Amino acid sequence: MSDLILQALYSGVLAGGAYALIALGLALVFGTMRVINLAHGELVLLAAYIGYTVESRLGWSPVAAIPLAIVIVCAAAACVYGVVSRIRVDREINSLIATFGIGVILTNGILLVWSADVRSTSSAWLQEAVVMGPLYGMRGELVFFGVSLALMGALWWWLAKSWYGRAVRAVASNRDAAQLMGIPPGRTELVSFLVAGVLAACAGVALYSVGVIQPALGGALTVKAFIITVLAGVGSIPGVLLGAVLLGVAEALTVTLASSALQELAGMGLFLLVLFVLPNGLFGAVRRRG
Amino acid sequence: MQRILETTLAGLLCATLSAHAEEFTVGAELPLTGSLARVGAGMQEGIMVAAEVFNRSNGKHRIKIATVDDESAPAKAIAAVEKLASDGAVAITGGYGSNNIAPASDASNKLGLVYITSGGVDENLVTAGRKNFFRINNTAGYEKAALGLFADMKVKSVSIVYSTKDATSSLAQSVQKALTAKGVKVTAHPFDPAITDFKPVVNKIRLQDKPDAVFMVGYENDYVGILRAARVLKPQVKAMVGVWSLATPKMAAEFPDLMPNVYGTALLPFPATFSSADGKAFADTYKALYKKEPDYLGQFGYVQSMLLFEAIARAADKGTIKKGGIAEELRKTDRETLIGRVQFGANGDNVNFSHRMGQHQGKRIVIVWPPQHATGKMAYPGVPW
Amino acid sequence: MRRAYFPALLLAAYAGVPLVLGGNSYVMSLIDAALVIGGIALAWALLGNLGGMVSFGHSAFVGVGGYVSALLTAKAGLPVPAGLLLGGVGAVLAAVVMLPVLRLRGPYFALAILAYAHIFRILATEWTTVTGGAAGVSGVPPLPVIAGIDFGGKTGAYFVILTIVCVFAWIYARVSASHYGLALRAMHDSEDATQVLGVNSTLLKAAMLLLSAFMTGVIGAFNAHYIGFLEPDYAFAGLWVTLPIVAAIFGGYRTIAGPLLGAVVVYLLDQLVFKTLISSGHQLILGALLVAMIVFSPRGLLPLLTRGRKPDAGT
Repeated sequence: MSDLILQALYSGVLAGGAYALIALGLALVFGTMRVINLAHGELVLLAAYIGYTVESRLGWSPVAAIPLAIVIVCAAAACVYGVVSRIRVDREINSLIATFGIGVILTNGILLVWSADVRSTSSAWLQEAVVMGPLYGMRGELVFFGVSLALMGALWWWLAKSWYGRAVRAVASNRDAAQLMGIPPGRTELVSFLVAGVLAACAGVALYSVGVIQPALGGALTVKAFIITVLAGVGSIPGVLLGAVLLGVAEALTVTLASSALQELAGMGLFLLVLFVLPNGLFGAVRRRG
Repeated sequence: MQRILETTLAGLLCATLSAHAEEFTVGAELPLTGSLARVGAGMQEGIMVAAEVFNRSNGKHRIKIATVDDESAPAKAIAAVEKLASDGAVAITGGYGSNNIAPASDASNKLGLVYITSGGVDENLVTAGRKNFFRINNTAGYEKAALGLFADMKVKSVSIVYSTKDATSSLAQSVQKALTAKGVKVTAHPFDPAITDFKPVVNKIRLQDKPDAVFMVGYENDYVGILRAARVLKPQVKAMVGVWSLATPKMAAEFPDLMPNVYGTALLPFPATFSSADGKAFADTYKALYKKEPDYLGQFGYVQSMLLFEAIARAADKGTIKKGGIAEELRKTDRETLIGRVQFGANGDNVNFSHRMGQHQGKRIVIVWPPQHATGKMAYPGVPW
Repeated sequence: MRRAYFPALLLAAYAGVPLVLGGNSYVMSLIDAALVIGGIALAWALLGNLGGMVSFGHSAFVGVGGYVSALLTAKAGLPVPAGLLLGGVGAVLAAVVMLPVLRLRGPYFALAILAYAHIFRILATEWTTVTGGAAGVSGVPPLPVIAGIDFGGKTGAYFVILTIVCVFAWIYARVSASHYGLALRAMHDSEDATQVLGVNSTLLKAAMLLLSAFMTGVIGAFNAHYIGFLEPDYAFAGLWVTLPIVAAIFGGYRTIAGPLLGAVVVYLLDQLVFKTLISSGHQLILGALLVAMIVFSPRGLLPLLTRGRKPDAGT
């Protein structure tokens, strides 16, 4: 029994790392612009399909697709920013609808270009088992867990030390004050979208390498990312990792101890539980007024 | 001189023949977008191949296919049937998912159009008294194949891992009941279709159930997930058995490390061998049109449509198309097809439907059950790791 | 909308449409489906405007209403009209379970409702003895034949859903014009100020959630009888969330007629025009249209149409 639980915890943590990578981009944009990019899941999916194209056409490992994915997804993210920044009225809800519309365009575009077949990596290296005592993992999962941690560390450093990173935090905290201090809010918001694009690109390639993709997946990814963002609370990067890991572990434990039919229930239940107790999420600061 | 005479005679003959020939529009209502897009696309290929083969072989009548996407939604399935009817369709082929087929076939019924499908396994579809409804497959056929294979393997315990969707859970539950009645120990693990990491489930099977065989009832993405998890955890089982969408050349080509020795339902071995001209015509036309190997969706779409076209042709010859002749002719169907002998009962169900089990062996797929259709012996015990 | 237009519109809807389009089953079935979406959009907009809460989980009410009505009529043999009402009541009970969520703000509330929708779906799938599990409820009785009119048919169903939607629109208008409506709209602008004035904002918001749930439940029940088959994935599908929101925003969600207009226009445009242009992937055009609408006319289609009548008040 303890073997089962240990494995469940291990699988949950690995899954959490992957979820965190998917959620980070959404969380970043939400924190900076208070805009929920409902097309985020589709951006991740786009990167996943680029990984597929690289692997099936060129025969390279999907990891090699990351640079190309970054270029294409960042371009798409910039387009999303372009649309969102034009919205002046009722920004919160209108940007929701606008990004939803973009999500629909992307999902159908992906369907038209790549067809509805399910895809996943055929690389044997990524699918090999890595055994540590009683703990089993897939090599691809471990690789991308490492990538996920590295990216989170890089993001944290960027937000803390680099000029644009600190500008993003300033704009997130108080847009008008930041503008008065000479920080161009428009450009900073664009930067946050681009960084979200980079994160989405890596998350997408990871998704293709570890899981199975199909065009209809975009929406589900966005919802999961959104749940983790809200769970973490606005403006907290470590919160995203913790929230994602918590979600992964809750799901794995539910499957192991109860039934795998209830996996989604675990996520939703956890989400509601946290919100009832901590309405601003695990690490969320109370939103500033105004 | 004789040449000119011959040609003129031939021309006259053609002219008189075509005077009696008609072109019939058959409606295809399929999910081409939405969650069922993969299935709809596969079925459409089979339907188009059937039209091509029929038009070539039947010199007299022509079939034209009009397709409307039902977007995997019931309301749009109803609308699709209505649109096809108003565009002059004489019958409807297609549909996937009992939730979409039930209202679509009701709409079809009200319009007096025959509705033939291979995508609805719910029992209510044939017990609710729909007079124009026909289906060529059902859960029972899949059940027979799985039970037959397990009997051959003489398994004492089976773990069933199944998706909590409509078709998969009804199959899993009926197989569970049947196996338990035979004294086989069964543990069931239903899973939410959204699951991507199957390691916790497979681990439970490995450490707690310790079965002889694992029975997977799901779709392509589920199989890949389960097999991947099993390859990592290496449970000590003797066979991994699935159902539809698994024993296909596509899976063998795309996931070569996950497929060795895996079983799934399959109508044809690979490389395909055909005992009938019909089968050969199907495979050749399919490859010519789509440049890939046919899969089970194409096969079902082909069979259901061919039977429909033949019934239409017979009804047209008798002049009964407008008087419910197609349904009458369809009910008289009794012939060998790719999926075996097809006969429709009074409720529209194919009474003979029994699927076959294939196994991935090397780069080939070998039919291993039932014995009369087997093209090789099963490699048991055998797993992909 | 001007009051004077109402009688003409009602006449057109009740008499004109069936006379002109009644024979065309295809268009009628599209209109029926569009009105179902329109009704849910109306209920969603009511919650947003009067309750100040954006919900991403109205599929919960559609599903619960559908299941309650389907089970009561198919298994317990109740007449269908009673089933419709009880479907609404079932949805209200579901909303009561959701009440703790009321104190959450903005996207937190929206997502919490979505979480409930997922939970209900899993409940419907797992509670096999009552709901039939993943196989769902088949053979849901159709709308009955009353006084010789088959309400289960396309045109008959049209009258039913049209009446339901009109009644709900009237209720919405009455609530909005009442004391409570004034209080709610004031609350929308500043909750603190209204609380200082003694308005029990939580009670009012709860009432709006229950009302929105009831309306959506009734429509969900109607849809179950119209389609005749219900399974968990369909009852709680994402399309019940996304399509009404798109319709409401498109038509102008601050008005009462906006969501209805948006639903009919979007649905018919998508199915009759776009689908014939691009048979697979026409939703792409819809997505593009939506984006264009938000960027250029955020208040929706209705204000765009009526803008010629009165001077532009500016946004």
